[in-house]
Amino acid sequence: MMSTITLDRPTEQVTSKEASIAAQTVLELRNIEKSYDMKTLIIKDIDLQLKQGEFVSIIGPSGAGKSTLLRCINRMIEPSSGDIIFDGTNITQLSKSALRKQRTKIGMVFQHYNLVSRLTVFENVLHGRFGYKSTLQGILGLYTEEEKMLALSILEKLGMKDHVYKRCDQLSGGQKQRVGIARALVQQPKLLLCDEPIASLDPNSSKVIMDHLKEISQSMGITVLVNLHQVDVALKYSDRIIGLNRGSKLFDDLPKRLSQMDIRNIYGAEVDELIFE
Amino acid sequence: MEHTALLQGIHVKNGKIKTRTLTKATITVRAVIIFLTIFTLIGPFLLKYSTIDWPTAIFYTFDNLKMMFLQPAFNQITFGTAITQIVITLALAFLATILGAFVSFFLAISTAKNLAPASLSNAIIAFNSVIRAVPTVLWVLIFAIVAGLGAVAAVLGMMLHTMAYLTKAYAESFEEIEEGAIEALRASGASWWHIIFHCVLPQSASYLVSWTFLRFETNYGVAIAMGAAAAAGGIGFELFMSSSFYYDLHEVGMITYCALIVAIVLEVIALQIKKRLMTQ
Ligand SMILES: Nc1ncnc2c1ncn2[C@@H]1O[C@H](COP(=O)(O)OP(=O)(O)OP(=O)(O)O)[C@@H](O)[C@H]1O
Ligand SMILES: [Mg+2]
Repeated sequence: MMSTITLDRPTEQVTSKEASIAAQTVLELRNIEKSYDMKTLIIKDIDLQLKQGEFVSIIGPSGAGKSTLLRCINRMIEPSSGDIIFDGTNITQLSKSALRKQRTKIGMVFQHYNLVSRLTVFENVLHGRFGYKSTLQGILGLYTEEEKMLALSILEKLGMKDHVYKRCDQLSGGQKQRVGIARALVQQPKLLLCDEPIASLDPNSSKVIMDHLKEISQSMGITVLVNLHQVDVALKYSDRIIGLNRGSKLFDDLPKRLSQMDIRNIYGAEVDELIFE
Repeated sequence: MEHTALLQGIHVKNGKIKTRTLTKATITVRAVIIFLTIFTLIGPFLLKYSTIDWPTAIFYTFDNLKMMFLQPAFNQITFGTAITQIVITLALAFLATILGAFVSFFLAISTAKNLAPASLSNAIIAFNSVIRAVPTVLWVLIFAIVAGLGAVAAVLGMMLHTMAYLTKAYAESFEEIEEGAIEALRASGASWWHIIFHCVLPQSASYLVSWTFLRFETNYGVAIAMGAAAAAGGIGFELFMSSSFYYDLHEVGMITYCALIVAIVLEVIALQIKKRLMTQ
């Protein structure tokens, strides 16, 4: 039974043309703009490309529009204009049901975990499969044995196997976040969106979570896009860093190219000490 | 000088800084309280007392209360009949509650602001307030036109009121649910019904049960009244017979005690259910 489960991306993509495919674009944003009130732009003309397996962090001060940008990608927030090309499909024009289909391929991880606290770890993780189910199958909670095995293997990978039958309100923050990640992974996504996944965690749990996210991007080839408050964490883990300030992209490059000057630009002059605390 | 800058845009009255501003809502609340106070104070002076012989009135009131509660007895009916009739009353209340709860669930998921579009939500809220504004007895009498006076009309009328009440209670429980869990499921491609059954329902189940049982208790009381007012049968009808037909205050007392004991038992069960669900 285990053999039917592949955590990694389908093998068809890892062929002779490895080099070109490794550089395959998973997500492309073109001129994305967002305004809540038709007056002020919260997101200003953002262009962005993410490649398969890339680990990208978005940094920026509070209110810069990081969460808004992230939610525009899976249209949890409707962008005001621009195009989102995900996995070869322009998802800005999709109907409701087609959008639902595409969303199954985009996992999301939240600062406050967003679990159904009265249900078990196992149930919460399996919730990630709803996108693949018909309404009735989903309502009745009819999961296949393969799906359950997939959930278990992911939980094992994240070191949560011992807590499968625990109710989620009995878990620590770090454990809850791992359940949140497992729920996203069980979707077998191509892209993982993480909105400040470590903002409510202590340094140790933060490291565990970031290590897992890094591991996911490297070994499963899933693209990971993370909103972060901590510049040092972004520097340590990212393949690429995007700096956002008042809705504009000020920086988009390798971590080593992020200078003091850039940080000052992104965060405003007063936060020099941010990186060296 | 620093003061004046700080106080810009702040309300000051008689040299005191106000911590709240007068809004429409606070003005309305105050007006209502003042009106009620005045009304309560002058109300008793507007009644007519001249025909009342006070000593006699007080004496007979106490005498009646004594007959009812200190000398209760069964005369026309037996203890067995009383029990059977109470079970019938409970059945009426149960039926009305279950039917109402079932409909309420679906209305509530179309009412809760975090689950339904505002227009639908507001329409149902308006519809429900109309239902609640009309007393249960009137609804029962309205249904009696088509169903005839009796149990059917009583259950339908009680159900309608239950529905309006529980829809509001359920919807408020649903609105308490953290937006995050719903957002997470939506983001993963789950459909609306998936979210209802696997997030909304498990998160609010204990509140739903507790509200439903509370309404059942209320309906038990209403069912007693309906037994008398709408000939729905049950212990209410026996109460009506012994008080208005036989003028048997001893039996009225006895029946009241029986009904009361059942009410207390229900209350205890409700408390237990609540305790179980909350600690779980
Ligand atoms: N639903 C909304 N309606 C109106 N304005 C909003 C809404 N959501 C966010 N905003 C505004 O958009 C701006 C960007 O918010 P956003 O949450 O994206 O910032 P952020 O970079 O994630 O901040 P933080 O680091 O504090 O999470 C803020 O000025 C906020 O007030
Ligand atoms: Mg944010």
